[in-house]
Amino acid sequence: MEARLFHIFRNTPLGRETLLQSIYFCKKIKASPVIYIPKFTKFLMYFDNDVAQIDLDDSYLTLPDTALRHATELVEQAELKPSFIKPKHYTASTLPDIPTNFDFMCCPRSISDMSSKIGLGYIGPRVRRIVKSAGFPVLIAGPIYKKWRSIAVFFGGSANALNALKLGIRISRESGIPLEVFTQLEKKSEKHYKKIVKDENLEEEIERHVNKWHFFEKGRFEDNLYEVPHDALVILGAYGHGIIRDILFGSKMEKLQSTISNNLLIVGPKYAANT
Amino acid sequence: MGILKSWRHPAGWAIFRLDDRLFLIFVAAIVGICSGIAAVVLNRSLVAIFEWIGQFRHYWWSFVLPAIGAALSSLFLEKIVKEGAGHGVPEVIYSVSRYGGLLRLRSSFSRLISSCLTIGSGGSAGPEAPVVMSGASIGSNIAKFFSLNDRQRVTLVGCGAAGAISSIFNAPIAGMVFAIEVIIGEWKAINIVPIAIASVAGTEVSRMLQGNRIAFSHRQFNIDLIDIFACLGLAVVAAAASILLTRTLRFMSGISSRFSSPLWLRAAAGGCVVGIIGIFLPIVLGEGYHPVKTMIEGNFSQGLAIVALAALAKIVATSMTLGWGGSGGIFAPCLVIGSLTGLAYHRGLVLLWPSVSWVNEGCFALLGMAGLVSGILQAPLTGIFLIVEITGGYNVILPLIVVSSISTSLCHYVEPASFYLKDLVEHGQLLRPGTDARVLADLSVFELLEKDCITVKQNMLLRDFINIVKNSHRNYFPVEDEKTGYFLGMIHLDDIRPYLFNSGMYDVVFLGQIMNTEVEVVNPDDELSEILRKMDANHLFSMPVVSNNKFAGMISKATLLDQYRKELMVQTCD
Repeated sequence: MEARLFHIFRNTPLGRETLLQSIYFCKKIKASPVIYIPKFTKFLMYFDNDVAQIDLDDSYLTLPDTALRHATELVEQAELKPSFIKPKHYTASTLPDIPTNFDFMCCPRSISDMSSKIGLGYIGPRVRRIVKSAGFPVLIAGPIYKKWRSIAVFFGGSANALNALKLGIRISRESGIPLEVFTQLEKKSEKHYKKIVKDENLEEEIERHVNKWHFFEKGRFEDNLYEVPHDALVILGAYGHGIIRDILFGSKMEKLQSTISNNLLIVGPKYAANT
Repeated sequence: MGILKSWRHPAGWAIFRLDDRLFLIFVAAIVGICSGIAAVVLNRSLVAIFEWIGQFRHYWWSFVLPAIGAALSSLFLEKIVKEGAGHGVPEVIYSVSRYGGLLRLRSSFSRLISSCLTIGSGGSAGPEAPVVMSGASIGSNIAKFFSLNDRQRVTLVGCGAAGAISSIFNAPIAGMVFAIEVIIGEWKAINIVPIAIASVAGTEVSRMLQGNRIAFSHRQFNIDLIDIFACLGLAVVAAAASILLTRTLRFMSGISSRFSSPLWLRAAAGGCVVGIIGIFLPIVLGEGYHPVKTMIEGNFSQGLAIVALAALAKIVATSMTLGWGGSGGIFAPCLVIGSLTGLAYHRGLVLLWPSVSWVNEGCFALLGMAGLVSGILQAPLTGIFLIVEITGGYNVILPLIVVSSISTSLCHYVEPASFYLKDLVEHGQLLRPGTDARVLADLSVFELLEKDCITVKQNMLLRDFINIVKNSHRNYFPVEDEKTGYFLGMIHLDDIRPYLFNSGMYDVVFLGQIMNTEVEVVNPDDELSEILRKMDANHLFSMPVVSNNKFAGMISKATLLDQYRKELMVQTCD
């Protein structure tokens, strides 16, 4: 069955950019967008072992009369079939439950924080919660619609990074867009990372799909990010090293999203990738 | 790091590896303690706020106090913690029914604070339902922390509710029975043992922090046979009061929702009405445990008319508080209304038959409470055990059983679903374990999808199709558009039968000409109950699943029944 991407539509110019980004993503990986036009500023997503309440700001309720038309127009312009989700279940009368059986979900960098609507902002707690709990990767769209001409996977050797690499290979194969891998060597050699890939029987796939594997031996991670093409879809695993390490040294996801404005596809710990 | 991981997964400890029920009992005790503490905190906070606000009650403007409390409570829920109004018990039952007891962490404190504001300022509501929500949320989040499965999580949600009720009433059996009868709805040893432990833990916490007190102690009642007969009438009156309270609450809620003004303003308006009623009948203010105590002790001095009026006023005040956006539960108002009803009934009996030596009026007040609680919750055991434990009155057990049972039956006859379950039943969301609705809800179209179908194109000749049929074991073949891949219709073997013995047609007929385009299709997001209804209505045994205009697979009754059995076994095994 066709992959489905869940998108929360905001009927504003900024929301249009995000939807265009989702539509582009769907076109590239032959998925279909499933759009939710909110009628309330909050909804619940029940995952396997967690429930996340998503609190939207009021801009998500802007001009409800034209929202459906605007979203339909944008999807149809891309020659895709618009599909809208209407909540069937409600935890409370103003608190709909949104299904979680999607293949991807598109989130703005922060769903609930007004200050980060434009610009890099930060990844809000709700988005982080979704990334941690969801069985699907989360697309964090950049502020402006931009086509991506390459795919950049950040590979740090963790289980989530492996899933990110597998997802990158899959997207590269389906979209025909070249794939590059980036690794910051952290007291380990190139061999170590290549062995991880070999142990996972990914050598052949890497050979076939990866254009170049960049190893950064020197410099800070943030500084080396300049090497990442500005028009690349960046794929990375999140929460692969555990909470303690993230608290002490900071998470790669946070560093990355605050440094570059590319579209990010974040793979959480619950995502089970297959190439 | 290893220690941290082991702490997060104690189920792996050697002692618990022997039997995972031991682990659940261990966690149940933790949940019971936590929810017991939450109940004590709420109880103490309520007393403190009610006493502090009491010093302003003699001022003429004191009628606005419940309005301020209700507005603040509503603002807190809506703007700060971003939760809906209400007491939350249906939310807990909904979560248990549909999502394995997943509850938000914020629910563990939100209702405590909001109900404190509403009830402490004089709103007519009780703290029990908020504390149930809080306890259930504590249980759910502890289960989440330990990465427990759905079934264990549901049990811990029940443990939280049991611990909270046990603690707030100092009534372990009532807490246990309430959790199983109302929240979980499944009497099984796997639930009962941890819930019993949580009840004990919650009660013990309450006794350690507040002392071992019986909420409504009273003298001994000498009940004769005539009193038991009189209880039949009391059960009818209590059932009527329960139905009146349920309907008034819903009516007020319906009226309130017609106003477009912000919820906090509506809550304030409701609170204002309660404040005005409270000037004339202070019994309606707050949880009202003090007058209940007086009634059970037989020291309530007002006459029949005032008692009956007070019962009606309490019903209106509770409906104005909860129906208009205040926060709190209906347990405590039920106790007050029930005792007033029982008292009024007793005084009516004395008026009609003054020569009969009736039992003390306190006994009828107590029985009225049981009738109201049982009637409104439609949970007779909860009503019986709660009243026995909070009054220490085992000697009234016989009339108690009579009143509770009859009141529950009458209420069930008039209102098939209890106050807590009415909305859930109306929306088809009450999915008790092992029921048809629950089994179907736990299965999804994706699990039942049969993908071994051969798709054909509309431009295919009959000859080519017959070759495909030879190698297939299916009777149905989905037809797709050659260019877009969109689903166009279905071909059943019956559709080609007229041409089968006429080989001249083999190279003339295209599938597009004979396919059936008027096909009932299934969407992947459709509910299985709805799919089954469609199958029955159209006498179908299988249906195509179409996602985004493309054929995804078939769903058949045979596969559904197979999975249904497996799911039923999972849900009903001990």
